[in-house]
Amino acid sequence: MNEMSKNENLDIQIYNFAYLDENTKRMIRRALLKALCIPGYQVPFSSREMPMPYGWGTGGIQVTSACLIPKDILKVIDQGADDTTNAVSIRKFFQKTANVAVTEKTSDASLIQTRHRIPETKLKEKQILVYQVPIPEPLRFLEPRETETRKMHALSEYGLMYVKLYEDIAKHGHIETAYAYPVKTNGNYVTDPSPIPKFDNPKMNNSPAIQLFGAGREQRIYAIPPYTNVKSLDFEDYPFEAMKANFKCSICGSSDSYLDEIIVSDDGKRSYICSDTDYCKEQTKLNSKKED
Amino acid sequence: MFRHRLLQRTNQIKFKKRRLIMKQNFLFQASNISKYYGQNIGCKNVSLDINPGEVLGIVGESGSGKSTLLNCIYGNLEVDEGDIFLNDKSKTILNFTKISEPKLRLIQRSDLAFVHQNPRDGLRMNISAGGNIGERLMAIGHRNYGEIRQIAANWLEKVEIDVSRIDDKPSTFSGGMQQRLQIARNLVTRPRLIFMDEPTGGLDVSVQAKILDLLRNLVRELGIAAVIVTHDLAVVRLLADRIIVMQNGNVIEAGLCDQVLDDPQHKYSQLLVSSVLQV
Repeated sequence: MNEMSKNENLDIQIYNFAYLDENTKRMIRRALLKALCIPGYQVPFSSREMPMPYGWGTGGIQVTSACLIPKDILKVIDQGADDTTNAVSIRKFFQKTANVAVTEKTSDASLIQTRHRIPETKLKEKQILVYQVPIPEPLRFLEPRETETRKMHALSEYGLMYVKLYEDIAKHGHIETAYAYPVKTNGNYVTDPSPIPKFDNPKMNNSPAIQLFGAGREQRIYAIPPYTNVKSLDFEDYPFEAMKANFKCSICGSSDSYLDEIIVSDDGKRSYICSDTDYCKEQTKLNSKKED
Repeated sequence: MFRHRLLQRTNQIKFKKRRLIMKQNFLFQASNISKYYGQNIGCKNVSLDINPGEVLGIVGESGSGKSTLLNCIYGNLEVDEGDIFLNDKSKTILNFTKISEPKLRLIQRSDLAFVHQNPRDGLRMNISAGGNIGERLMAIGHRNYGEIRQIAANWLEKVEIDVSRIDDKPSTFSGGMQQRLQIARNLVTRPRLIFMDEPTGGLDVSVQAKILDLLRNLVRELGIAAVIVTHDLAVVRLLADRIIVMQNGNVIEAGLCDQVLDDPQHKYSQLLVSSVLQV
């Protein structure tokens, strides 16, 4: 028993606070400050090898690691849920390496790392939202040359971005892009909001929380400071529309939160539930109070 | 006498600053431009000027520096010596070798256009014909889908492509259609000067004739000035008002198209004209 507790202490001792060494964190913080000063601009940083594969949120983890302080309360979500593999493993990672408090409640958290969603509960000032970003370059599939896309950003040559939306309407009759919907940050840089559903795009606009984006494999960091104008691109005659499945959550009955479609039986019966598990729990609680 | 004077004007190699002030109605002027590739000469001491609505042909054999010259005056290649002036829409004279890159790119998108020999270089092959035409519009700030689509449809009609193909990708088009689409894509923003690098190269003769016919009509109808690089004398005979003949990076003869082709003075021009096959 005595030996075990010794080992546990050892575990914490082995790692520097929040895993990364202080110099690396300093480098990332510099990149973060620059990113906050130039909203939407992709700042290169020397991304480190993390003890997990690319695509598991190495960018987000590095940003979180650079931002964490011992009194932080951390929440980690994956597709809105607190209990999926990615969320659980990242939460455990920081519990082990930083020994910070964790929570599932959005309103209690001071730092939220997310993959592919923005929480339904409105974010507040002094909260930080860290996004895991697979592809930071919104023009990637339109213009493969990175030297050229950087020039296009620098000169605000965004005609090509609209060509993508044009193609959507020409092909489908409406803008089909449903996630990673490009936005213009602070009227200047076109930014990839990471693959959040376009339902979440309006939440980015004028948000009181700090929004930080980390792309580990691509070695880029960008940010949206609090209360920044974030506009989803669109055409005059085809305005932007935040979309979700037109159903109610089968657990909490909410009709205004983003829903996941799940197949519940072999003959293809479907059910819709909130993708934000914390929001769903709270709505259920509220409902049961009302019934009482 | 008139012909003689013109010859003198176009042959003028030394560019004088005084002329710039005196002659305000020119559209484009290149003076003494040189481009070297290490020891090799791309083009040397070339001067030319283009008036609004005029078509200039640049002819010469392969490797004579035609394409280098074209890329230099379009601003794609940095010149080693010389100046390039454009009289822009607001009548300000801009020097390409001095202005900033953003400004140059803006001018390349609005005042100028470039038609590549191979349509695959000038088109986005994985984007529909309508999107290809619309790109330049969206780049200069058009944000109304209906309008963009209407303009694209009009231009397809102008270049004789069936409007029902508006949502098809250029990869499903024939070579001639791709070239016509590239022309439409470039002309949609009404540039004042269009650069063409062998626009009919690699096409069969009947398709070539169709494209030349189309180009001639469009250039005349819209009053667009053009610079056409080609090794095909028939093309310049049909389209150009004036031509310059190049060899080894130098301009060896310049003048009115018919004059140079009917009565070539330089021995290389004579060789070039005499080597055209007669059917």
